[in-house]
Amino acid sequence: MESFIKDYDKIIKKQRTLETNDPLDRLIAVVNEAKEKIRADPSSVTSSLAVLGKSIRTVSNGISEEQKEIQSSLSKYSKAIDKKFTADMMAAINPHAFDNKENILRSTIAMHFIRQGNFEIGDTFAKEAGLTVPDSMRHQFMEMFDIVAALKEDNLEPALQWATRHRSGLEKRSSTLEFKLHRQRYMQLLMGRQVQEAIAYARKNFAYFGTRHTQEIFRLMCSIIYMDHIKSSPYADLIATNTNADIQHMFTRDFCSLIGLSCDSPLYVSVTVGTQAMPTMIKMASIMKAKKTEWSQQQELPVEINLTDDTKFHSIFACPVSKEQATEENPPMMMGCGHVICKESLQKLCRGSSNLRFKCPYCPQESMASQAKNVYF
Amino acid sequence: MNKINHEQLLSLEHPFIPVEKFRSSLRVSQKHIEKEIATLTSTVSEISKKSVQGSMDPKQVEVALEAIVTRLSTLKRKLKDTRAEETLYSQRTKVRLQHLQEFTAIPTLDSDDFARWSRVRLNRILIDYMLRDGFRETATLLAKSEHIEDLVDIELFVQSAKVEQALMRQSCAECLQWCKENNSNLKKIKSTLEFSLREQEFIELARERRSQEAIAYAKKHLTPWKDTHLKEISHVMGLLAFPPETKCHPYKRLYDKSRWNDLISQFRSNNFALQFFTPEPLLNVTLQAGLSALKTPMCYQADHRNINCPVCDPDTLGALATDLPLSHHFNSSIVCRISGQIMNEDNLPMALPNGYVYSYNALAEIASVNNGKITCPRTGAIYDITQVKKVFIS
Repeated sequence: MESFIKDYDKIIKKQRTLETNDPLDRLIAVVNEAKEKIRADPSSVTSSLAVLGKSIRTVSNGISEEQKEIQSSLSKYSKAIDKKFTADMMAAINPHAFDNKENILRSTIAMHFIRQGNFEIGDTFAKEAGLTVPDSMRHQFMEMFDIVAALKEDNLEPALQWATRHRSGLEKRSSTLEFKLHRQRYMQLLMGRQVQEAIAYARKNFAYFGTRHTQEIFRLMCSIIYMDHIKSSPYADLIATNTNADIQHMFTRDFCSLIGLSCDSPLYVSVTVGTQAMPTMIKMASIMKAKKTEWSQQQELPVEINLTDDTKFHSIFACPVSKEQATEENPPMMMGCGHVICKESLQKLCRGSSNLRFKCPYCPQESMASQAKNVYF
Repeated sequence: MNKINHEQLLSLEHPFIPVEKFRSSLRVSQKHIEKEIATLTSTVSEISKKSVQGSMDPKQVEVALEAIVTRLSTLKRKLKDTRAEETLYSQRTKVRLQHLQEFTAIPTLDSDDFARWSRVRLNRILIDYMLRDGFRETATLLAKSEHIEDLVDIELFVQSAKVEQALMRQSCAECLQWCKENNSNLKKIKSTLEFSLREQEFIELARERRSQEAIAYAKKHLTPWKDTHLKEISHVMGLLAFPPETKCHPYKRLYDKSRWNDLISQFRSNNFALQFFTPEPLLNVTLQAGLSALKTPMCYQADHRNINCPVCDPDTLGALATDLPLSHHFNSSIVCRISGQIMNEDNLPMALPNGYVYSYNALAEIASVNNGKITCPRTGAIYDITQVKKVFIS
């Protein structure tokens, strides 16, 4: 990128030089000069005009020289850009894949804005695209962003009320949000030197969590001893600087999960994955094109697109023996030793007999097909 | 794995760098000045000639020169206005080059900087989508609230919307003017837009049965295309013989008003080609790649649905993905159904006696608050933590 910026700077510098010494001013100057000469000495008209003709030529040559320089820098710059940014993005797509799905895409966009908390933009978009955003979703996210805004200002009250209201749902998801919020409130009191209040708060609220978070509660109560120099104590982690951000994130995640939605905007996730996947797709498309095979009509991409861990949502089991992905007909089987291969590969290894002993391809152990069992990821 | 391949991702950004607008905005004042110099040279030689012949006395020469100075000063004022566009696009080029430059400094896909950059990119792509579909109000609002006005092309779409609206009103003038301004580049992409517009103007004259004007128009504006479009020219000339209500092929089709819509799409595709914009919105292009990469057969099976997976939502992105190919994997990656975490050597996969596999961390956490007992979330079966068995995925 640096070379482009350098090229760009060069062009702009030349352009500025040209502008500060305005070509039109230069022309005006020579014409004025001739005019003044003639006014002072009318008899010099012929020679003055001849001089003027010549000066115009000189000045205009100078100007076009400078212009040419800018032009050549420009074309050098644009050629370099064309050479660098080469991806043929259209090669990798099926232009008809979204036919008649315009409204699905648009409502996905509208919902994306709502769930980002951009209500004004979401509404404007819905209006322009002639869509209606379900009110229920809107209200839910308004509630969520109100609570997040309070959390940002260290006001835990709305979040605590919400968490208590949804206690059973949260527990079903083994969420520790409610306890974490109480813990945070307790630490707030403690750090504000309100020891009596902190102890009263603990008595009132920690009891419910006694069985699940015994160890944590021990530590929280013990930290009172160190409250004056907690940063240099074994309890420093209780006041770590990012706890507030963590709680916000945890709250958003649990809130979305409870209303059955993903934590991140699905549109954001898909586009981010898409951006990372595109170079590979384009490369593959160009190879397929050279081989004259249409990939977009195939059921499956011919290449593997690497995903980051946070965008892997489903377990993929590819049999290490056959390299095929497991299916319902060809499910993953765990052999006696714990190694997993697909059913078809297993049958080949045991040559169709369920009580023939064979060696695992990955460890020295021997076992029989009858010992293998289905596993579910 | 989490390292960013900057070169690859940068190669997608051609439409982002306004090369053409930058170049043409710098050209505008140059063209004016070139033209002015030509006029100036001829005027001055004219004056000298007249002065030598004696048909102009020195006083008159003086007046004539004064007139030239006035002309030049007027042009100078006029050029100040064209500078606005020049400044806009040079500023924009700079900001965008810097934006990409900042991107090259982001090391990993899981950094906050990359997330931030991706969010900006998503907004850029969304604004591109909105502008193409004419949702200008939202586009402007979004650009403003995210402070990314310099990273999106609202002005460009405002300009082309004017041309499109004119075509909708069945006026070719604005589009012809646009062709003139972009003449050399249109030639480079072998565009036939101008010829189509000329044809259309001729067709409209023929429709109104203004034959004389039509013939004059054809002589002036169609003949320059004779080398490449003789057949088309002879077709439209045939219209002089056929009335607008004809059913005869190909004249019926030439008279068809839907040709105006074809002109609009031809203009759009030419305009996009000049700016290196993709014919389809970037959102569609990127989403297709992303949805394919995420799509698995499990996404469409109710008991395998994951609320965090975009393709698993049957009402939104799942519906969009139905016609897209599935992802393909040569390598296993096992995701814990309890915690959503990837199972690997740091978080081993463990099988319950019923064959259901979960991550060690998730099972250990459940067991720790549940007296060592584990309830399989998918079957409801209850086991003791000591009954789980290590699974080896190679």
